[in-house]
Amino acid sequence: MVLVLAIGDLHIPHRAPDLPAKFKSMLVPGKIQHIICTGNLCIKEVHDYLKSLCPSLHITRGEYDEDARYPETKTLTIGQFKLGLCHGHQVVPWGDLDSLAMLQRQLDVDILVSGHTHQFKAYKHEAGVVINPGSATGAYSSITYDVNPSFVLMDIDGLRVVVYVYELIDGEVKVDKIDFKKTSTATI
Amino acid sequence: MTQTRSNSSKPAIISEEQQTNTHTNTYTESSETLAEKEPELMVKKRVPDWLNNSMLSSPAPVVSPPSKSRSQSPPPPSSSHHDLLGSYTSKSSSVYSYNSSTVIQPPVPIPPPTFIRPEPPTKPARTPRTDFRDPLTRISDSDNDISSSVEDASRQTNLIQALSRKIINMRELRRLASEGIPDGAGIRSTVWKLLLAYLPCDKALWSSELAKKRSQYNQFKEDFLMNPLLKVSVASQSEITRKLEDSASLQNGENTSAGKGLLPRSEIPHGEHPLSLGKTSVWNQFFQDTEIIDQIDRDVKRTHPDIDFFCGDSASSKANQDSLRNILIVYAKLNPGIRYVQGMNEILAPLFYVFKNDPDEDYSRNAEADTFFCFVELLSGIRDNFVQQLDNSVVGIRSTILKLSLLLKEHDEELWRHLDITTKVNPQFYAFRWITLLLTQEFIFTDSLHIWDTLLSDPEGPQETLLRVCCAMLILVRRRLLAGDFTANLKLLQSYPSTTNISHLLYVANKLRSHHHS
Repeated sequence: MVLVLAIGDLHIPHRAPDLPAKFKSMLVPGKIQHIICTGNLCIKEVHDYLKSLCPSLHITRGEYDEDARYPETKTLTIGQFKLGLCHGHQVVPWGDLDSLAMLQRQLDVDILVSGHTHQFKAYKHEAGVVINPGSATGAYSSITYDVNPSFVLMDIDGLRVVVYVYELIDGEVKVDKIDFKKTSTATI
Repeated sequence: MTQTRSNSSKPAIISEEQQTNTHTNTYTESSETLAEKEPELMVKKRVPDWLNNSMLSSPAPVVSPPSKSRSQSPPPPSSSHHDLLGSYTSKSSSVYSYNSSTVIQPPVPIPPPTFIRPEPPTKPARTPRTDFRDPLTRISDSDNDISSSVEDASRQTNLIQALSRKIINMRELRRLASEGIPDGAGIRSTVWKLLLAYLPCDKALWSSELAKKRSQYNQFKEDFLMNPLLKVSVASQSEITRKLEDSASLQNGENTSAGKGLLPRSEIPHGEHPLSLGKTSVWNQFFQDTEIIDQIDRDVKRTHPDIDFFCGDSASSKANQDSLRNILIVYAKLNPGIRYVQGMNEILAPLFYVFKNDPDEDYSRNAEADTFFCFVELLSGIRDNFVQQLDNSVVGIRSTILKLSLLLKEHDEELWRHLDITTKVNPQFYAFRWITLLLTQEFIFTDSLHIWDTLLSDPEGPQETLLRVCCAMLILVRRRLLAGDFTANLKLLQSYPSTTNISHLLYVANKLRSHHHS
């Protein structure tokens, strides 16, 4: 039972001052084992905050990140799953499923986490699953102003992943769940 | 928190004097410590008469009232075997002459001599020195009192006799137990189970009771020690499988080309997500439990690090630690009001040790279940000491400490005045640990077992006897206390000399009872 937080596109301090209070109250250290962050934090203070939640922190570079040392893409293995991480501004058209699927095949991962569109999405295609955690602060994106703050928490347990989607809608935290399994022979 | 006395293995009295002398630097006390070792030499000024008189009893076969006739013999010169236990070397053999008796056997369940006969001092169990760190394998002196071994043997016979009746006379058993239970043949294990009302008086009911309780404990273990996340997934499983079945049928229609598409989202029951802060959330429970489990784990690992039974590298010590952990976790889950408090592990340790080392195979195997229930029973009397909110209340630890203070005042006003008023040694500084942990941390392990014999035999719960024993502890070192200032007294009381003759201590405590007028 490994809890992995997928979060990104915070754009602090340029487009948003901070995480919503309700999100912050839920994110306490000690519960989460890994954090994967799509990028665009943008400053070191946010990095430190995330590091305080969990020492295992993986970040990829977004186009506005001030730390240029983050990699463009990252892959990691958690439990039985291979996860890939990429900010997403590199994949054109932004948010396009087929292009992301190409990236996923390229990285050879089961779950690809990418962002940039600031919209939560969870796609499934024959090569695997693509998850977009959206923007945790609700910052405006290059495409739209209408953004609900959201992030994703994945509970990886053996061959099964339960994805909890946290969204802040009208000031209230709404949590939904998505469940999928990986068959041992083929991906989902 | 265990007292570690790093002594060289010089067994003679002289080393003890030197070592106890380190406690109070100011006062030259060679005669004094000697006096403490040999009660009959104690001459205390202005000590209540009865206390004084009892000291003048003769050494070897002590004729004190039926009970405390343990080793009142002069400490024998030799003692090659005193270097047995690293930290326990300093004990004078007089303390353990009662141990000389009959069964010194490694408490590991090897089929023991089931019945103890009054042995001559040449003990058969001289040889197994294997487990150095196991306190009960200490070999006592041979040159020690045939008399005391005979007495022990007689006590043992009495106990065995009492236990062999069909319906056990609890009053008699309590009386016998308060005199001290010999270390072998699983007597202590059975007696403690009876004293803690785990086994009923009627022997015929034992097997059914035991079976019932043991299965109950196993049920508890299953309920509480199962990974709570399984519960979550089991609960959500039904929903998921249902949805998967539904969507599978749907998907099969859609799934023609590539199995693409948005993944279906499902609502979750209120607050059942991992970051939930709600009190009813299974996740939140799980994380809170994890904290407690972590603390229990840490404390279990630190319990009695010098005793191999608890803290060794062998598989059996790991198993013992696991048992301790399980018991504490189940207790914490069953008692959400008090959960786990540091110190409970110390109360648990002697119980488990005694029960696990029961020579009877069946008892030893089920020691965990038995210990659990006895632990619950024992703790029920003293649990108020562990609840922080009750500290200042009538039942709390502060008021108990106050009772101790008053008891001391009643029996030895001069000492009380000196401690409380002159040197301002707040009893909380030392008595807190004495009382909450039932003196397990003040003496070496075997000694505390003997003290527990007396504590548990009190029909009204250990507290009364405990206070008397604490008072006796104070009185026994009164000379040093009267001579010391705040620092010296505090130092002395916080590391109470573990070379104290336990039987003498208990004798004094018993005397306090007869002079108690309330």
